[in-house]
Amino acid sequence: MDLLQGTLDVLVLRTLSWGPMHGYAVSRSIRQRTDGVLEIEDAPLYKSLHRLERAGCIEAEWGISENNRRARYYTLTAAGRRQFKSEENAWRRYAEAVFKVLEPA
Amino acid sequence: MSRRRLFRLPWRTPRQIRSDVDEELSFHVDMRIDALIALGKSPDEARAQTVREFGDLEDARRYMGAVDNDIEAAQRRSELMIDLKQDLVYALRKLRAAPGFTITAIVTLALGIGANTAIFSVVNNVLLKPLPFPAADHLVRIQFTQRGQGDAGTPPDLADYRALARSFEGFSTIEGATSNLVRPGADAERVPGVRVSANFFALLRIQPLHGRFFREGEDAVGAATVVVLSEQLWRRSFGAEPKVVGTTVRINAGTFTIIGIAPAARRYPLTSELWTPRAFTPADLSDQTRGARWLSMLGRVKDGVAVDRAGEEITRISEQLEQRFPEVFRMRRARAVPIQDFTVGDLRKPLYVILAAVGFVLLIACANVANLLLVRASTREGELAIRTALGAGRARLIRQLMTESMVLAVLGAAAGVLLARLGMHAILQLAPPNLRLVTTATIDATALAVTACVALVTGIVFGVLPATQVSRGEVVVALRSGGRGARGRHTATRTKRAIVVAEVALAVTLLTGAGLMLRSFGRLTAVDPGFRPEGVLSTKMLLPGRAYDSPKLRTFAAALEQRLANLPSVQSAALADYIPFDNGSYGFTYQIVGRPPIRPSDLPNTETRSITPRYFETMGIPMVDGRGIEPSDVATSEPVAVVSRSLVRATFSSESPIGKLINIQWGNDSLPRRIVGVVDDVRSFSLGDPPDPIAYVPMTQVPTTAVSIVVRTAGAPSVLANPVRQIVRELDRDLPVYGVLTMEQRIADSVGRQRFYATLIGIFAAVALALAAIGLYGVIAYAVTQRKHELGVRVALGATSTRISRMVVTEGVALTAAGVVLGLGGALATSGIIANLLYGVTARDPLTFGGVALVLGAVAALASYLPARRAARVDPLEAMRGD
Repeated sequence: MDLLQGTLDVLVLRTLSWGPMHGYAVSRSIRQRTDGVLEIEDAPLYKSLHRLERAGCIEAEWGISENNRRARYYTLTAAGRRQFKSEENAWRRYAEAVFKVLEPA
Repeated sequence: MSRRRLFRLPWRTPRQIRSDVDEELSFHVDMRIDALIALGKSPDEARAQTVREFGDLEDARRYMGAVDNDIEAAQRRSELMIDLKQDLVYALRKLRAAPGFTITAIVTLALGIGANTAIFSVVNNVLLKPLPFPAADHLVRIQFTQRGQGDAGTPPDLADYRALARSFEGFSTIEGATSNLVRPGADAERVPGVRVSANFFALLRIQPLHGRFFREGEDAVGAATVVVLSEQLWRRSFGAEPKVVGTTVRINAGTFTIIGIAPAARRYPLTSELWTPRAFTPADLSDQTRGARWLSMLGRVKDGVAVDRAGEEITRISEQLEQRFPEVFRMRRARAVPIQDFTVGDLRKPLYVILAAVGFVLLIACANVANLLLVRASTREGELAIRTALGAGRARLIRQLMTESMVLAVLGAAAGVLLARLGMHAILQLAPPNLRLVTTATIDATALAVTACVALVTGIVFGVLPATQVSRGEVVVALRSGGRGARGRHTATRTKRAIVVAEVALAVTLLTGAGLMLRSFGRLTAVDPGFRPEGVLSTKMLLPGRAYDSPKLRTFAAALEQRLANLPSVQSAALADYIPFDNGSYGFTYQIVGRPPIRPSDLPNTETRSITPRYFETMGIPMVDGRGIEPSDVATSEPVAVVSRSLVRATFSSESPIGKLINIQWGNDSLPRRIVGVVDDVRSFSLGDPPDPIAYVPMTQVPTTAVSIVVRTAGAPSVLANPVRQIVRELDRDLPVYGVLTMEQRIADSVGRQRFYATLIGIFAAVALALAAIGLYGVIAYAVTQRKHELGVRVALGATSTRISRMVVTEGVALTAAGVVLGLGGALATSGIIANLLYGVTARDPLTFGGVALVLGAVAALASYLPARRAARVDPLEAMRGD
């Protein structure tokens, strides 16, 4: 199943809301939580990370990974948290509206 | 602010960004492959799957790099802004902490920048802005010269150029015609106007505010008389009522229909209040009139034709006309002068000279502030050293110091603009009329933009030297010496001295220029005009020709003179058609009867004046020979003339002119007149030009419509103004009296322009001198403070106070001497530029140069004497203990 435009950013923000993590961790986490239903490539994921950094939603910083390698860790900023809240609400309203149409009358 | 920024980590270069992106990506790939292998995949399978899962790796790499570059740039910008804000806040705090320094610097800069803003505004208005007509650069005036002397056109010229010039859209005559305007139920008014061809407004390409402009054919003989009013006149005298278009007014006893209103901002000529069509009769256009030159021409060069080319064509046509009429047009040339040059051409050079003068003032102001900053900076070495020790880089310190300079420059500029606004009013009060016309006391956007640039450059000029000097300091030395900084003292002192020498030199150059202008003005005003102007009041009238035929004029003149003479306190009164130091009066050719004939183009010229008998007495013009004009010289007696000395010099070598017959060729009345007397020369237009020949004739024999009144009184002449007006009103209510001025005022007005230039340059030179003196004082005073210790030692070792003060004064005078020498050199090199603005003084006038050197010497001695006195009073114990 293809991803709707802009959906990835929300997923990334949601994932980072659990705490700072590097790109690989974000990728793995999203993959697990969608049970492989969504075909998410890593390239757009990384693009999303950097785009969100530019927008000030997340901050990046080099740190040491669990296997002792230098890794780039991303942290949600206050602005990112606000952004996530508003996008999450929009998503829920959107999904509810779609469901209402799909429900048998 | 990110954490990285918080700790001011170094910026990432694009290369570092690339390698960061690579590292991030390879971390991901390695992790994924390891994870897949851990799940039991072969390394090859694991790699293939990772790549598949990833998607377009190269695209991601590029994208991430680009985004990171953006992020980096944005952070850099925001950090700069934060620094700038910090610097600004810090600079303002520092400046507020030293109000003496700050106010001195701002006032100095305000003087420099304000003078520049004001003068630039004038220059911009007068010289740089085009006149307000579409394609104004294609509008030209045709100027004639004959044998290098100024000449004018003739009606046939107008027809010739219209027929021959192919690069022109058209030509119009433009003839000054100041008129008596009479509206129903109002006093007559004297209104400047012009008579023009019907195509005049079409050439200007302007539209009327109301009504219409002239139609083709309205300048034909016998066409209905129509007039266009200026918006100013319409508002002032017609209550801005659009319905006046179509109504009639009386102009010079004729009835004219108002057809349109010309917009205020687009008048040509700039003073004109009304325009009437000029009709030429066939007689006007005949070849016989080619000798009488009075016509002015306005032309418009066709679109797409270069103005220079059009000018060449005009000159070629004048050469053709010379060949066709060699008798009258020998060595006569025409050229096209852009109307801008025609209007303000003579202002160009003086204004640029004044602009250069204010440029000097600004440079001196910069030098002063630079020195102030240097002095201040040396007291701040400690502070700067501490900041360096805490991690501020040199660039950062320079930026901080430059911010302070910029803040000063901006504050100075703001104060300068206020000063300029006040100054503009004063400048325009002094300005000669043609300058006042084209400029207003407003500082427009262009001038403000230029001021902003000037402020910016100023800030850099005076800020950069102190900033680089101070930041060069070695931290440890500065810190160790407790902030009083021992190092670099010599470099700093040398810089300060060099700056003082430079500003003294600039001041000397400017002062020399001002000195020359002032001496020239003094010489000019000391010139004897040839008559005694004190106690004489003059007024002008123009009798409408239609209402006053000759016998009526004679009666009017007689009645007027009689009543004037009866006024109490009037010693004598007279009438004349034109008076000295007024515009007007024409030159006519003349011949002495009985001499061999002369080719028409070689005939000598003389001005003529129609006068009443007591004119010479009233004006105070001495008789040299023979008799003056007598009451017995009447219309029916023999025609007579009294001539001026220079006419005698030009025409009679040794023989006496008395009794000879002179034939003045003024058209209808070309009869020979007997020369009965000789009077002294009178300067007619300007004190600077040699007197022209004049032939005086009795008004009874040559009545004129232009009548000026001169009355001499023992008291103040201006009190006669109202009685004289009253007498004229009693004689003819429709006759406006204008130009009521004392002769002394007329002479003063004639040198108004020179006075203006001399005053402005004088003021700026005075400001320059004051600034240079302050600069000199500052440096010497500071040196004394710095050398207190040394001076103390000298006193302790037995130096007398005289000796100490002489030492200090010597230093000041030495600096000044160097500046004076340089400045006089500069003046010698540049004074040639103003040579043709000078009268009676050479551009290398030794008296002026010497005087300036003396003044500077005196000022320098004073500026160093005050610190010297302080130095002499140094208490050795205190001075040495204080160290």
